[in-house]
Amino acid sequence: MSHNTSLLFFPHTQRNLPKTKRHLFPQPLSLSLSLSLSLSLSLSIFFLIMESLPLETAEKIILRWDSTASEEARDKMIFSGGGDRDEADLYLQAVDEIQRSLSSVSVSVSSDKVNSAIQIAMARLEDEFRNILISHTNPFDPSSEDEPSQTLDSLSTTSSPKHPLTNEETTEEESDSNHNTISTPLFRFNSDGAASSVRSSVNSVNSSSYRSTSSIREIDLIPSDAVYDLRCIAERMVSSGYLRECIQVYGSVRKSSVDASFRKLQIEKLSIGDVQRLEWEQLENKIRRWIRAAKVCVRTLFASEKKLCEQIFDGVGTSIDDACFMETVKGPAIQLFNFAEAISISRRSPEKLFKILDLHDALTDLMPDIDVVFDSKSSESIRVQAAEILSRLGEAARGILSEFENAVLREPSRVAVPGGTIHPLTRYVMNYISLISDYKVTLNELIVSKPSTGSRYSGDPGIPDMDLSEFEEKTPLDVHLIWIIVILQFNLDGKSKHYRDASLAHLFVMNNVHYIVQKVRGSPELREMIGDDYLKKLTGKFRQAATSYQRATWVRVLYCLRDEGLHVSGGFSSGVSKSALRERFKAFNAMFEEVHRTQAVWLIPDLQLREELRISISEKLIPAYRSFLGRFRSHIESGRHPENYIKYSVEDLEDAVLDFFEGIPVSQHLRRRAE
Amino acid sequence: MPATTENNNQGSFLGRISIRRNQVMSMDGSHDQEMEDLELFQKHIGDRFSELLSSTSEDSSSSSSSSSSGDALLSIAWLRRLLDEFLCCEAEFKAVVLMGRDPSQITKPPLDKLLPDLLDRGVKSLDVCNAVTLGLDAVKNLQRLAEIAVAALEQTPLGDGQVRRAKKALSALVAAMLNDDSNAAAKGTERTRSFGRRAGNTNATKYKSLSWSMAKNWSAAKQIHAMMSNLTAPRGAESSGLAQPMYMMSTVLVFVMWTLVAAVPCQERNGLGTHFPLPRQLGWAQPMIGLQEKIAEEWKKKEKKGNVGLLEEMQRMDKLGQSLIEFADSFQFPTETERMDEVKKHVEELGDICKKMEEGLEPLQQQIREVFHRVVRSRTEFLLALDQAAKSTTPAL
Repeated sequence: MSHNTSLLFFPHTQRNLPKTKRHLFPQPLSLSLSLSLSLSLSLSIFFLIMESLPLETAEKIILRWDSTASEEARDKMIFSGGGDRDEADLYLQAVDEIQRSLSSVSVSVSSDKVNSAIQIAMARLEDEFRNILISHTNPFDPSSEDEPSQTLDSLSTTSSPKHPLTNEETTEEESDSNHNTISTPLFRFNSDGAASSVRSSVNSVNSSSYRSTSSIREIDLIPSDAVYDLRCIAERMVSSGYLRECIQVYGSVRKSSVDASFRKLQIEKLSIGDVQRLEWEQLENKIRRWIRAAKVCVRTLFASEKKLCEQIFDGVGTSIDDACFMETVKGPAIQLFNFAEAISISRRSPEKLFKILDLHDALTDLMPDIDVVFDSKSSESIRVQAAEILSRLGEAARGILSEFENAVLREPSRVAVPGGTIHPLTRYVMNYISLISDYKVTLNELIVSKPSTGSRYSGDPGIPDMDLSEFEEKTPLDVHLIWIIVILQFNLDGKSKHYRDASLAHLFVMNNVHYIVQKVRGSPELREMIGDDYLKKLTGKFRQAATSYQRATWVRVLYCLRDEGLHVSGGFSSGVSKSALRERFKAFNAMFEEVHRTQAVWLIPDLQLREELRISISEKLIPAYRSFLGRFRSHIESGRHPENYIKYSVEDLEDAVLDFFEGIPVSQHLRRRAE
Repeated sequence: MPATTENNNQGSFLGRISIRRNQVMSMDGSHDQEMEDLELFQKHIGDRFSELLSSTSEDSSSSSSSSSSGDALLSIAWLRRLLDEFLCCEAEFKAVVLMGRDPSQITKPPLDKLLPDLLDRGVKSLDVCNAVTLGLDAVKNLQRLAEIAVAALEQTPLGDGQVRRAKKALSALVAAMLNDDSNAAAKGTERTRSFGRRAGNTNATKYKSLSWSMAKNWSAAKQIHAMMSNLTAPRGAESSGLAQPMYMMSTVLVFVMWTLVAAVPCQERNGLGTHFPLPRQLGWAQPMIGLQEKIAEEWKKKEKKGNVGLLEEMQRMDKLGQSLIEFADSFQFPTETERMDEVKKHVEELGDICKKMEEGLEPLQQQIREVFHRVVRSRTEFLLALDQAAKSTTPAL
């Protein structure tokens, strides 16, 4: 472009100079002429009347900004965002004029020149379009979310508070500390963000843009004046057949912006192989972080990108906004969902259930928003993938539950728990079950079929029998819980057979079933799910075990205290055989001593149950002994060495019974009593 | 989505196997039956790939429209057929190895090692599927660049501006197909950004045509190599049992994934290698060896140029792009008619390729997704069977 030609339209630029201090054309400035002023004036008048430029002027404006032809044109931008839009408006008008002339037949003579001008203009507009986009690619800042505390709250409610493998008392704190280690960087991140919150117009929260039906919270990624410029350019590029260039430029710039936002949100790129290799504990943390990030991504980041596309392209052409939106977010969306997908196909094992349910819940919550954000035909694959992951997570949860049932049935440990106390399996299973009851809402939706159970169907003696008809009014999940308790008891019954002492076996069953009952009673949720009918059965079972225990231990002992066999028949004398009586006392002493010694180290961890059983023992033992002693004491005391036969006073026995089921050897009891 | 070319005989084959096995397994004469099933499976694999090999059109370079005899090697349509064959093999494999079988059979040596290896290959193939899907999105980008060039060069009369427009798009297209490592592609926009203002008009780096969202350090080539490890044909007594179909399925899986990575641009293809050990002595592997040799030949031809993918449509796009750039460089109005006719032909061909991509890429992606689903499903089923087997060997109390 020569200076001569620029002279012709130079005046217009110069008119603006005092206002904007632009220095587009330093050299022509020296040629300030009255001619230019008058031309400028006439042009302005011309605009007022016609609102259009003469074709020739339009062409010259286009050529002046041909970046292949001049340094200045290359170095300056028309849409510089400085607030002065005259230059930009003029340029757009020039493009419009060229387009108009192209579509009208009358100017076909010079169509070649006009054609060339439109190509130059489009190349220019493409660059302008890119430049505006690039100068507004501030990555999305999560701290611009107005409710960080809410994010944390929802995070804490979805994290499972207890871990079935650890002791329930400590887990609450443990998960709190977990929670803190995760949320600390988040807090720091937020406070940093707030401190440096310049609140540029880019991030100004458009709080009015709530959608009533969902939790979508869009923000303005690009200020409205820039959006207006982009729209103006897009309209012209599309109408001139430069749609593809437009999409290409838009997608490449916005995608890198989304990528930057992903980095800020700490969304990791993990392959499916990586996820399968990681320890589950590490993954649990990553799942927690993913849930938080996914919410921000879908509801704010992607939704805002969609809104931006609509603002710029809506009405410009058919579904251009969709095309641009997918161009921008398809890759990132696939990357985001890839993690959840990798989790959904990981090997199933019981400890994974609750985190998988967290993930399932989070995705379920997000589904309506995903459906809104990815509602177009072109984004169908994203929508489908999210739905597939959701159903796979549900399937995984179902699989894990049945895996868990099998694990409970087959848990193979054969070492009898010393003292007949509560088996670790019982604690584990009951903690697991009460966690299941915490996830009742979700699991009730996922677990839709009752367990396929019962030896009447399988003919397998390794599987317990259960009559499903009793539980017809129960939900499938409820029946699964009952079934888990049934198979737990079945397994425990098997384990009880490893005790040599039948009494201890009964005590073991009593302890464990009692623990089950206590756990169920302790949780209103669980109690409702299991139901009072089955609870009554369980209560009956541990009472039965207590009775069996007493029978197994005490019938023998009390048998020593019977009258039969002591009276010498036929004689008139005293009628009591002294030798038989002595043998009786000796037998009783030996038996009680033995029982006392062994059963003091047995353990009933539940204080009340321990107390009840001792009372029940005393109620039978003490009156029997007192009356036996009352009837026969004189016979022994009249003989030699009565202390050899009457070792226990009634009080001694009462004291000794108090040593039972404490889990401490008798010797220690004696020492304790001596002190 | 069902496999598109489900063979007619397949359904009945599956049905027959399961029915027969259910009938026969209870009695003890199942051995012959099993041999027959295995032979049938072997034969079907051989047949499928030999059909694919024989219908692969020899002339992959220029005349695309006349390929009525079959699809060009590594074209979109050809890849779709390959995936169809894979899906069929996979279904038969499960019928032979899993269906109606006592799960304890798949835990006995040597399967106790072979099956976990196969499942591991499955997981690895999932990442390959994802990488290839992303790669096909990148190909869609190339398609758009080509479409811009076509739209520009279709104009009559052809003006300077349109030629410049086409050249810009074609330069970006050709540059994107050069073997720039993914890092360079990722830096593309950053670089443009740091310029602040525009660099030269034809600067191809403006287009971030090929970029992936796979994990950092993930390499398609390494993944394929990892899938190949421990892949050896069963010998001696093992070769008559279930070890044989395990090995066949592994080989098919590796072959299909290797082919996809060879064809489609994806993260880190360097060092993929043109060969992996296929059992030359086994009949069913012969057609696969034939295909592998053809692909290797293509690879060697393009290797020096540093290609990003052997996809037939891409290769032709590259060639046409080069020639049209040449034309654009020397363009001046008016052009002699002879030259113009040639250009017109090239533009038409480029348009045809774009149309093929428009029609074929999406279904190909969906099919890869179907492969993904299948691998996941089989993996789940095998893991379940393994668990059941583990349980039944643990004596119940």
